Amino acid sequence: HYAFAQSARKITGKVIDDKDLQPIPGAIIKVKGTSEAVSTNTDGEFTIQAKTGDVLVISFLGYIERSVTVGAGNAYNIKLAETEKSLEEVVVIGYGVQKKKLNTGANLQVKGEDIQKQNTTNVLQALQGQTPGVQITSVSGQPGDALSVIIRGKGTISGSGPLYVVDGVQTGDISYLNPADIESVDVLKDGASAAIYGSQSANGVVLVTTKGGKSGQKSQITFDAYFGQQRLANQARLLNSKEYATIMNEAAINSGKQPYFTNDGISSMGTGTNWLGQMFVDQAPTQNYSFGASGGSDVSSYSASLAYTSQQGIVGGKDLSNYERYNIRINSDHKLYKDIVTLGENLTFAYVNNNGIGVGNQYNNTLRNAFNTSPFVQMYDEDGNFFDNSNSDWNNGEANPYAQMYYNNQNRNNNQRLLGNLYLGVEPIKGLRFRTSLGLDYTASEGRSYLPIYKLSIYSFNDNTNVFQGMNKGRALTWDNQVNYSFKLNSYNNFEVMAGTSAYSTDGSGVNASNKDLSMTGLDYAWLDNATNSEGARMSTGGYPYAQQKRMSYFGRVMYNYKEKYLLNATFRADGSSILAPGHRWNFFPSVSGGWVMTNEDFMKNTSWLNFLKLRASWGRTGNQNISPYQYLAPITSSNTNYTFGNAEGTLTPGAYPSRLNNENLTWETSEQSDIGFDATVLNNKLTINADFYIKTTKDWLIQAPILASAGADAPFINGGNVKNSGVELALTYRNHAGSLNYSIGVNGAYNKNKVGAIPTADGIIHGNTNSLYNNSGEFYRAENGMPIGYFWGLKTNGVFQTEEEVNAYKNKNGQKIQPTAQPGDVRYVDYNGDGSIDANDKTMIGNPNPDFTYGFNLAADYKGFDISLQASGVVGNEIVQSWRNQADSKANYSAAILDRWHGAGSSYTTPRVTEDNRNWTQFSDLYIHKGDYLRINNLTLGYDFGTLAKKSYLSKVRLYCSVLNLYTFTSYNGMDPEIGYGEGFSQGVDLGYYPRPRTIMLGANIKF
Amino acid sequence: CTNDFLDTQMKTGSSEENFYKTTDDAYKALVGCYDGLQVVWASGISLPVAAEVMSDNTFGGTGNSDGFGYQMIDEFDKGRSPSDQDLFGDNWSAYYKAVYRCNMFIGKMDQIDWKGNTDLKNTYLAETRFLRAYLYFDMVRLWGNIPLLTAPSSENVPQASPEEVYKLIAEDLKFAADNLPAVAYGAQSVANHGRVTKYAAEALIGRVYLYYTGYYGKPDLAGVVAKVDALAYQEDIINNGGYGLVDKFEYLWPYSLNNYAGEDNKETIFAIKYTYTSDYNGNTDGNHWMVMNGIREQWSYPYGNGWGACTVDPKLWAAYSDKDTRRAGSIISIAGEGINFTNQSKQREYTGLYQKKYIPLVDAAGNSIAVSSGGVNFMVGQFQDYVSIRYADVLLMAAELGSSKAQKYFDDVRKRAYGSNFVSVAVNAANLLNERRLEFAGEGIRYWDLLRQGVDVAAATIAQTTDVLNGGIKTTKTINSANITTTKGLQQIPNTQITLSNGVLKQNAGW
Repeated sequence: HYAFAQSARKITGKVIDDKDLQPIPGAIIKVKGTSEAVSTNTDGEFTIQAKTGDVLVISFLGYIERSVTVGAGNAYNIKLAETEKSLEEVVVIGYGVQKKKLNTGANLQVKGEDIQKQNTTNVLQALQGQTPGVQITSVSGQPGDALSVIIRGKGTISGSGPLYVVDGVQTGDISYLNPADIESVDVLKDGASAAIYGSQSANGVVLVTTKGGKSGQKSQITFDAYFGQQRLANQARLLNSKEYATIMNEAAINSGKQPYFTNDGISSMGTGTNWLGQMFVDQAPTQNYSFGASGGSDVSSYSASLAYTSQQGIVGGKDLSNYERYNIRINSDHKLYKDIVTLGENLTFAYVNNNGIGVGNQYNNTLRNAFNTSPFVQMYDEDGNFFDNSNSDWNNGEANPYAQMYYNNQNRNNNQRLLGNLYLGVEPIKGLRFRTSLGLDYTASEGRSYLPIYKLSIYSFNDNTNVFQGMNKGRALTWDNQVNYSFKLNSYNNFEVMAGTSAYSTDGSGVNASNKDLSMTGLDYAWLDNATNSEGARMSTGGYPYAQQKRMSYFGRVMYNYKEKYLLNATFRADGSSILAPGHRWNFFPSVSGGWVMTNEDFMKNTSWLNFLKLRASWGRTGNQNISPYQYLAPITSSNTNYTFGNAEGTLTPGAYPSRLNNENLTWETSEQSDIGFDATVLNNKLTINADFYIKTTKDWLIQAPILASAGADAPFINGGNVKNSGVELALTYRNHAGSLNYSIGVNGAYNKNKVGAIPTADGIIHGNTNSLYNNSGEFYRAENGMPIGYFWGLKTNGVFQTEEEVNAYKNKNGQKIQPTAQPGDVRYVDYNGDGSIDANDKTMIGNPNPDFTYGFNLAADYKGFDISLQASGVVGNEIVQSWRNQADSKANYSAAILDRWHGAGSSYTTPRVTEDNRNWTQFSDLYIHKGDYLRINNLTLGYDFGTLAKKSYLSKVRLYCSVLNLYTFTSYNGMDPEIGYGEGFSQGVDLGYYPRPRTIMLGANIKF
Repeated sequence: CTNDFLDTQMKTGSSEENFYKTTDDAYKALVGCYDGLQVVWASGISLPVAAEVMSDNTFGGTGNSDGFGYQMIDEFDKGRSPSDQDLFGDNWSAYYKAVYRCNMFIGKMDQIDWKGNTDLKNTYLAETRFLRAYLYFDMVRLWGNIPLLTAPSSENVPQASPEEVYKLIAEDLKFAADNLPAVAYGAQSVANHGRVTKYAAEALIGRVYLYYTGYYGKPDLAGVVAKVDALAYQEDIINNGGYGLVDKFEYLWPYSLNNYAGEDNKETIFAIKYTYTSDYNGNTDGNHWMVMNGIREQWSYPYGNGWGACTVDPKLWAAYSDKDTRRAGSIISIAGEGINFTNQSKQREYTGLYQKKYIPLVDAAGNSIAVSSGGVNFMVGQFQDYVSIRYADVLLMAAELGSSKAQKYFDDVRKRAYGSNFVSVAVNAANLLNERRLEFAGEGIRYWDLLRQGVDVAAATIAQTTDVLNGGIKTTKTINSANITTTKGLQQIPNTQITLSNGVLKQNAGW
């Protein structure tokens, strides 16, 4: 035998972590098939006897086992990759942590590094595609704007966002966080996991842990930076002058008029102004610089960081749309007395400057103006000033949308946020731990704006300079106390019990004022002191306290396991809230969950393909009281309640009236959720599988249900309505290596179905807003029993009438024409209720804004210092309402889609003819509905670590990379961005001229000392 | 102590629990009721505009690419704009909100500490009851069948019979007329102009009496006011009210510029008062509806631009004698005043004639007077009061109710109109109604004068087929009398309210 000739010899080597390249002490090296085994020393080095052809098996807790075949060489450097989904890991749960393998809830964890890889300004955006069952959608693409986060389907028509808990401090918004500061984000999706947060948790809980130091860790300094250029990925096309004139002519003819333009006139036209093109800038930079330091001694550990982030908007550029953030963070932990008393703090300070354009409803949406202005309007006049269209003989009511944006968005805002806590822990005997912590969430904000004198059209003008200045500050204090005790009974029964209290209180105030006639003009001089007007009626002032909110909570938990095989967790929370009327303030939130780790059973011991399998089941109740305080009272309104007696105009006599009905029985909105699922690892720990099925019912919504106008006052908040969300989630992660090539593939998806019930109004419907899609437009979405929340309600269409005969042939049972006034080219509506005519009774569900399925996947690989990763996310089965054009205006510009309109038999079967009264568009129908499915490549990154080349002992990592964010979006939607988080009221997916997410190309560096 | 911790206090504004206690609260609540009346037409469609459109005075007009809501009102034809199911929805809500304020205040009268001042209590109660009656009278004329609430209620209240509504109106007005102090115009404090007076209540009784007895063919006002009482109230105003006619007809209106007699002049019995402080931050004090009547998107000094609603029917122009100063005093003739109007393409139902009494005004350079006075813009910044009842109306009502001085009252009104060209004509029912048409054109009165002669008379008078210019294109305009008889001249009840009531509220016939 070949091997026979060999004899064992001394092999040496070093085992290091493949990421930070630090030595791994205590790793086990075995020679396969023999009893030979050694472990590494503190420097990660080992020596073992082996011969050529032997296989060395290297393993260490928390790392993926590796095999190395001994060749001719005598020295082997072996890199081990961490098993990131390692079951020995702990996950963050409410008021504590738990070993992941013992967790019985449906929660998921995203590591900080997986967030940092995405290079986003906002932490939440980085989670897109990494969190099955958590739908994250941009509300607008404007830098600094919020993201809509919906966990396991929309559960309510008011405030469907989750609770955020940062280092134990509850808050409503985490946009202030620098992604580089994140250690992990844990999402509690199921009722049992969330129930420990009681009244705040009906929409799920997002637990954020910022980075801390580790005791005994040597000091480490990191520097991360990126710089990128953003631009519009996909511009919508509107009509140019020639096309516009042609369509206007056609609309006039179809409306019985003479055409406005002669053919010669049209052919001599240029293309006119491309208004969308004018609104966007070609290059909008974004950048981030983060400096971090961490380390620890035996008694103290620390982690600190300093960061600057800026992102300019692709609409209007830095002056009009911009976000800039400075972050300082210091987390430290100190042992005051042996291991018994510890004291520490987590503090993050953020200073944000931002200014932006309108991204709201049709009257407050800056981009929308560009969609509606004809290409005839010019950008500048002969003197280089913005063009005043007042004397236009075409349409003196339309105004330069860029100039409107410029004049109306002269604003500067900043806000400061200090969020963190100070805690004291005492562990007098092993296993018994007290902890008290005081959390602070402090915010201050300041804003001012300037409105210059301008004239752009007969309706778009301003005659007096105006200045606005406002300031607010507020704080929320949370005082938590808890005691934990872990103990064992006869070594198999493991208990951990916890009891605690939490008190929460907010306070704050704000002032603002505006005045006119500035002595000096320009935003720089837009301060109240420069306003010269002294007439009271032309200025306004306000000052107010924040309506105080207080909560008191008592909670407890028992965690039990038998040999880590049978798991049982139960929690209980009692919450009292100042928001509700006395007598209705307290509610109770229990939960129970259990698990069975089958792979710990003897009969499963020999199942070699299955490394781990845990079955889980849980039930929990959570609550929501997310309305403003004092809703149970009937307020007396005195603002804006005046009459003008006597002969002096502008002199107001103040009055008052009760403006809203009271409801002293107002109580909690609650959600109950059952979940069953399993976690498994198979194929030698290479593939992990997590699956869940859930049913979540949110009932007794806190809603301002519409009441009859004869009641005479605004509707009170009442409890009523429910929604059932049920769904399935699945996440798969496969990790392996081939030689030096390590790779992983993660795929996740979630299916959710949403159904509303028990709406407490006479017609079982909560009607959506009107006047949303264009001026004086009708209702288009509803919450209704048996339907998905916020479904789109309108007429179904069935093509376009091609001929007079087709109009005449569209008859009802009595032989009458169903659409008697229709003409060829008009849309054919479906007589849905079969009553022989088309009216509101034919309206039905024509679209669902809630996706059936959300999914994401990521691919990552590294090879000898190179790394590549790709992250993608998508949705399936939702619909979008696109309403760019003001249908109340005959002369508004159209998108290029109108070029497919009907203009003679056979010319179009889908897009009706154009008319001046827009009759085919003034009824909400499925002409407005578009498929919302998309798959977005969120991030593609290619990097190389020069640290291995540099071989400097003090420099462990010098990685340079380039990334493309929002690389490509696969979609059939013809808008600029299919990811439309904007909605009116409780609707979503409403594109009124959506600020799209930019595509960003960036270069970055990660340096670690 | 935990429960104490959860107690917080509302620190701005107050709640119903701690309001309605002092006379100061009472005055604020009273002003709140006036404010309720002030905002009933802030959005939706105003009654003065709608009444002109429904009458034979004007067409719907508006922009040539606007919806057909005004045509639907004008022609009483749902088919003209099937998607308009809530044209008056905002108004319905605003009226009930105003009624609620009045009902709430009336219900709290006894819990207020009046400090023994019963007169003050009765004055406030009388003013509030007048306002409630005024609101219900608008509503019951426009919609006919409305839920009647005399105390706040969020119940699903079905529609009341009109008689019940009129009974409440009559009782409220009678209470006001009998309890408000008799202070003649000249003795009223200028700062208090705009408050409800005894004479306003008496005049409104006359108007309600004539409408109810006419439209419903009843012998008296719901058993509360007989004809002789109604007449006595009018005579009281004439004899003791201290009111009079402004010298020249055109001086009544702001377009007469320097000659304008001003607001709260001696001819104003009751007006809904407006000022220029409306904005888009919730201040709603302005005349938001007058902009509808302005010339479509074009100004011509002193007339400001507007939305071109209520284009005047040439029949109205023709109804005036050329010796009648009220013709040019009530109607803008584009050709007659030499206005270079170029916006025909944007105007629907153009007739060459516009309303003149309630329109926005501009200075010689075309700047909106409302804006230069401090208004946000020419749309919501208009501040001209709506003079609901003029003394001329009282004179004509007294004549119609059979005053022994009927001929004199009738002549007084006509003398002002014709000046030196005055020739007396005999006072009789037909002549009185004709005179009312000429005197009150554009003031939202004509339509009710037609209806109170009977729905058939109104339908026959209003119906016609004629030509108008839509966007400069000659178009046939038809108002079908059958639509008016089917709907009994009433308008559509907002469909949203019917849906919300789950069918307890019934839609009016024809809608």
